[in-house]
Amino acid sequence: MSDKKPNVGKVFLNGIINENPTFRLVLGTCPTLAVTTSAINGLGMGAAATFVLLGSNVVISALRKVIPDKVRIPAFIVVICMFVTIIQLVMQAFLPSLYEALGIFLPLIVVNCIILGRAEAFASKNPVVASAFDGLGMGVGFTLALTLIGCIRELLGNGSVFGINILGASYQPMLLMILPAGGFLVFGTLLGIINALTNRKKGDAK
Amino acid sequence: MKTTFRGGVHPAHGSKRPTQALAIRDFVSDTVQIFMNMHIGAPSKPCVKKGDHVKVGQVIGEPVGGLGIPVHASVSGEVVAVDAIAGLTGDMAQCVTIKNDFQDEWEELHPLGNVEKVDPALILPAIKAAGICGMGGASFPTHVKLSIAPGKKCEYILANGAECETHITCDDRLMQENATRVVDGLRAAMRALNVSQGIIGIEDNKPAAIAAMEKACQGREGVRVQVLKTKYPQGGEKQLIKVLTGREVPSGGLPIDCGCVVLNVGTCAAIADAVIDGKPVVERVCTVTGAVRSPANLRLRIGTITEDIIGECGGFSTEPGKIFFGGAMTGMCLPNDQLPMTKSTNGIVAFTREEAVSAEEDPCIRCSKCVDACPIGLNPYDMKISADAEDWDACKKKHVMDCMLCGACAFICPARRWLTPSFKIAKQKIAEKAKKEAAAK
Amino acid sequence: MSLILSSAPHVRSKDNTQRLMLNVIIALLPCVAAGIWYFGWQAALVVAVSTASAVAAEFVWQKLARQKVRVYDLSAVVTGLLLGLIVPPSAPWWMMVIGSVFAIVIVKQLFGGIGDNFLNPALAARALLLASWPALMTSGYNLGKFADATSAATPLLSGASCMDLLLGNVTGSIGETCKIAILLGFAYLVLTHTIRWEIPVLALATAALLGWILGTDPLTTVLSGGLLFGAVFMATDYVTSPMNWEARAMYAVGVGVITVLIRKYGSYPEGVTYAILLMNIAGPLFDRIPVHRIYGHTKAKKEGK
Repeated sequence: MSDKKPNVGKVFLNGIINENPTFRLVLGTCPTLAVTTSAINGLGMGAAATFVLLGSNVVISALRKVIPDKVRIPAFIVVICMFVTIIQLVMQAFLPSLYEALGIFLPLIVVNCIILGRAEAFASKNPVVASAFDGLGMGVGFTLALTLIGCIRELLGNGSVFGINILGASYQPMLLMILPAGGFLVFGTLLGIINALTNRKKGDAK
Repeated sequence: MKTTFRGGVHPAHGSKRPTQALAIRDFVSDTVQIFMNMHIGAPSKPCVKKGDHVKVGQVIGEPVGGLGIPVHASVSGEVVAVDAIAGLTGDMAQCVTIKNDFQDEWEELHPLGNVEKVDPALILPAIKAAGICGMGGASFPTHVKLSIAPGKKCEYILANGAECETHITCDDRLMQENATRVVDGLRAAMRALNVSQGIIGIEDNKPAAIAAMEKACQGREGVRVQVLKTKYPQGGEKQLIKVLTGREVPSGGLPIDCGCVVLNVGTCAAIADAVIDGKPVVERVCTVTGAVRSPANLRLRIGTITEDIIGECGGFSTEPGKIFFGGAMTGMCLPNDQLPMTKSTNGIVAFTREEAVSAEEDPCIRCSKCVDACPIGLNPYDMKISADAEDWDACKKKHVMDCMLCGACAFICPARRWLTPSFKIAKQKIAEKAKKEAAAK
Repeated sequence: MSLILSSAPHVRSKDNTQRLMLNVIIALLPCVAAGIWYFGWQAALVVAVSTASAVAAEFVWQKLARQKVRVYDLSAVVTGLLLGLIVPPSAPWWMMVIGSVFAIVIVKQLFGGIGDNFLNPALAARALLLASWPALMTSGYNLGKFADATSAATPLLSGASCMDLLLGNVTGSIGETCKIAILLGFAYLVLTHTIRWEIPVLALATAALLGWILGTDPLTTVLSGGLLFGAVFMATDYVTSPMNWEARAMYAVGVGVITVLIRKYGSYPEGVTYAILLMNIAGPLFDRIPVHRIYGHTKAKKEGK
């Protein structure tokens, strides 16, 4: 375990671009596909995950020298559970409609691989500040990705973005886009485009 | 009753057989070049030298090894060269060049007489002495084929008169004109091996040959003609055995493993010549067609040079783009017209420039026509995927070694994929690897 | 003299990819004609838009992806035509454009282009349109000869006579109603050796038999809805049907069974689309079942994996 000080700015940007959890690491695809039927759902899910990531990364990083190696995974889960419970109760109190929309996927953040993955791969090996920025970066990257997918699906499937009608009343909504199949289609197409663009960039660099 | 096998294709050129009606005529050129490696097995050793005078039928190459057969002079005259020249595959091989003196002076022959009366024990040595190897194209030494390994039993001898290849009509004409010789040769082989059943398989697009052969079979013991449906590759050894006997050659085995020996009708005639007249293989019938002015079925002295043969047929009708020995499905391309024909050359076909151009490979559309066409029941499209990836082990698992390179899949492929050539390479690579592994042990 | 050296075989059959696709196009023409005869000029427009946009999508994609442009192989025309024939005659033009672009770009090109798509592009596009605009895809049949028809009942429920079904005097998607036209196309495809008869015949026979067991008149099963069109033109798609004939037989039986089950117990009135799409996915698995007989192998299984 190295306690070298990583560059926090780099760590933060890393989560958004180079190691974007959705498009680069392809982690947490279950909520990505399931809840992104609208932009607001994507944003809400992203925000909740960001909160949990930030909190759990900070706590796990602070406790990293206390937690015995052999039981670290259960310990991580307990920490993550705590934050998930907090966000769940807060959302239920103040954003009941979003809470309803996210449904089971909100408690399922506990087993979201991004959060456990960052705890294992980063927070348990790095100091608190860096871990906080890592959690924040990952969370923002996740949120941006989910919001993007949500925007596209809502625009095509409902003609609106964040509930504001954009394509006008004459638009015939493409129902498939807000069905699960639409989630796969948009996610796969975006992944393909991003891969093609980065490959082309790499090719140019060479 | 016509019988056939599963799969196969109908190459358009097979139905148009312009040389079918042309009688065999003789042609003797003034120079012959006789290769020492015309057969499968170790090349024969030249036993004449430059300046020697040779007679027709004189041994000029002595057999080497178990698969070896002698090579005979096909014309009388003076040996002008004994040297290594590049053969059909580009490999260098010993070759004896003889300048014909047109005296047609023959070496003394040792006829054995009537095939029904000759001592069976004398037949095999006579076949070997005559230098007979498969005349259908495979050029496997016939006496080896007829030497049955202990523990195996031959129950059928099949004469292959299917001639399913495109363009070629030499077997057809031979059966029409020399039917009795073919039956004599078959009977000789049957007597040599003490076999009671001989079947001659002929495709139904050769009615004249069928009639002639049926007539020749009358009153002969144990031989009969079986009419086959016209379909490529009906004359493939494995397909012929399947349709004539209902048996199958086990994978990786030989026809004798299912009690059969298959002889080309040309080989049968050569056996008859060797037994009845004591004549070695010095000539054979060869179809010359395609882009030549007057296509013909020629009886050629072994070693006649392609340029002379084409000249005899009036020269090229247009500038040729491709010349090959054999039919269009399995024929071997010639690098130039200076190569001589061999004991196994059943045809010489010239293609015009337009016919010769091969189409570009398109993506496979999985139409499954290759699977339907494969006479073995393989999945050519699947083997091609592995062959393109140069994954030879995967090719082997997909049974590429069972492929007989008949070309049916490549013929039918609408995407013009090079299926058969890929499998040829795959088979070579796998054989090389097996050899290496055997050597390592 | 310069001679070309190449490996055998030196002759190739005349059927190349383009010619096979042309055969399919010719076989589809009677269906197009029947569609226009029954539903009027709007049907022609639908087919034209879907075909043109499929070709355009293929051309633009291949240019963008810097690939060799293979529009000349006519496969995009076939996809566009097929899609145009399996939608209602009143389908709006923009829907056809979306369907064609989806079929060509997403289903075909993204998976590797001609020969590599794992679903039938036209059918996948129909499934997309059906899921996206269910109302537009299941109504709007009262055009042309049916302009006065009061209801837009699906042909499966209308109880039309067998003669009407055969002639196409019923409502339905543009190309699927006139069974005579489809049978003409089928005969042409079989006679030109473009397709083999096994898949359509087995699929129809299975559907008829199962339908009969479940209490439907076999003739009605075969002649109603899009089963005949699907069995002849969709299930026989080269790329997405299995390679070995044993696997093809299983595939065809599967198409028949699933179609009848969806018709009988599913929530959709017609199940051919999903039956064929499901079997498209299962096809490669059927090909792996080692039942294919190889010459000289006593048991096909013995030497397998």
